Amino acid sequence: MAHTETRQGSAEPNAAGSQRRSFWGALLGNSSYDAVTRVLFKTQRRQFIILASFPLFWVLFAHLGPILQMFWISFLDSYPPTAGVEPQLTFANWMTFFEARIFMMPFFRTLGFALTLTLTTLLITYPVAYFLAKHVRRGNQLMFLLLLLIPFWVGEIVRTYAIMILLGNTGAVNLILQWLGLTDRPIPFMYTSFSLSLGIIYLTSLYMLLPLYSSLEKIPRNYLEAAADLGAGPWRRFFRVTLPLSREGIASGCTLVFLISTGYYATPVLLGGPSTTVFAETIAGFFHVAGDEWPVGAAFSSIMLITTLTLTGIFLKLMGRTGKGLME
Amino acid sequence: MTRSTRILMSVIYWAFVVYLFVPLILMVMMGFKDSAFIGFPIKAWTFEWYLGVFQDTKVINVFLYSMAIALSTTFLSLVIGTWIASFLGPYKFPGKLIVFALTCLPAVIPGIISAISLRIYARFLDIDPGMMAIILGHTVHNVPFVTLVVMARLATLPKSHIEAARDLGADSIVAFFRVTLPYLRPALIGAGIFCMLLSFDDFVRAFFLGSYQPTLPVLIFAKLRSGMSPEINAISTVVLVMTAILGIWAERSMRRMNKGTE
Repeated sequence: MAHTETRQGSAEPNAAGSQRRSFWGALLGNSSYDAVTRVLFKTQRRQFIILASFPLFWVLFAHLGPILQMFWISFLDSYPPTAGVEPQLTFANWMTFFEARIFMMPFFRTLGFALTLTLTTLLITYPVAYFLAKHVRRGNQLMFLLLLLIPFWVGEIVRTYAIMILLGNTGAVNLILQWLGLTDRPIPFMYTSFSLSLGIIYLTSLYMLLPLYSSLEKIPRNYLEAAADLGAGPWRRFFRVTLPLSREGIASGCTLVFLISTGYYATPVLLGGPSTTVFAETIAGFFHVAGDEWPVGAAFSSIMLITTLTLTGIFLKLMGRTGKGLME
Repeated sequence: MTRSTRILMSVIYWAFVVYLFVPLILMVMMGFKDSAFIGFPIKAWTFEWYLGVFQDTKVINVFLYSMAIALSTTFLSLVIGTWIASFLGPYKFPGKLIVFALTCLPAVIPGIISAISLRIYARFLDIDPGMMAIILGHTVHNVPFVTLVVMARLATLPKSHIEAARDLGADSIVAFFRVTLPYLRPALIGAGIFCMLLSFDDFVRAFFLGSYQPTLPVLIFAKLRSGMSPEINAISTVVLVMTAILGIWAERSMRRMNKGTE
């Protein structure tokens, strides 16, 4: 069995080009190539080290590096450094946050917003995911899912603009409301927490829906049938079987939506107003002006990163999961 | 579930589809409006805004610039992501979970913080704001996705394939290029298109890492801040059509890959 599979697997590239085979054959027969690989791959251990070196370098240099550098900058009194002046270590940047209400307010507003939106998104998308996973025939599920995925591929800015057109004073919603005679002057939906919430739910709902769908889809039908045979009504079946078994999806979906919605910058700028300033705008403010403010911005970013990751860590722990497999 | 809840749920599903599509449809329609004023109702229609976009050399330059960034990012992300996956997938070693967590880190950091930290890091590495900085930023953001997709595909590669190649005289490099890489093809196509989408659509990293030359989302943002116009709708619609086509293509190749392994 294994043998036939192997043949099929290697037959394809062979057929693809007989010229390439001679290249690889020549490479293997080349004496200098042979000498080099003999040294490099002499032992399993050496081979492992060579394979491991670049990935380890990359994750430390490019994934962890920027975060550590940001933490480091947040303790300096000036950055980018001016020539001849040695930057001093200081806690002042971190203390700035606790001293002013104009910084604290957006921070807590962002967290509150993100939590509310996560919960709302969960409530909206759960029935949709349930319908997809349990009521649509398996052959049609892909089509129904694709219908939801297409708008999802469109970028943040374009979709934010679409919401602006929908909700503007001369937008579609106001046109319909006036036509129905429900209001005689346009309702100012834009630049409020309403428009911002609607926009962010519009952007993030699929991050909730997909994990929910994949966890609901995995629940075997006979579990529910067994519960029904034992006399459980529809609501009881839902709360005792379906909901606990979709916990995995709820946990990943909520984590993703929470982390993503705290990170939006353009959407709050375009859809929000002065009363809805979020922390991303506060942080960005420190980078628009001359370089001196970078350390404060770095400190604020660190505060936000630590807070959001701690909150999601606690949440995942409560849901009985570790962070592993979050993205799956 | 009872019949009525079933009907209710299908109503919720379709309402959700309408919620997702209506804003985009309205946006596309507005690009055909024969007036510079954004708003309903639309009384007269025109193709002028679209024609204008295709003749505007500035928009075309921005488009090409964004494409160049997206293609470079995709290439780098695929190489790095595949390398990390072929290291993390088959090998067991102490601290593997930590390396895996570090690999996924850029994917879970909120966008604004990712952009800010990369901006600081680019300054630290002496990379000026501009194309190089954006490519670095996008690559860092995309590598986790490539790694996860490739790891999933690698897990289904039968060990016997590699062993057979080794028996036939291939060393590990040749075995990788002749056996593993062809096997990974569908995963690489899917992940690659996904990378292009992520890079092409990204605003926050391009905004903070870019110079005066904007990428397409940054250009749309800048135009929006100075006032809405059907021209923006026309540009956005072009972006929308492109991303939708790319997305469906990615979805198809990924779906085929999953079918092949079942």
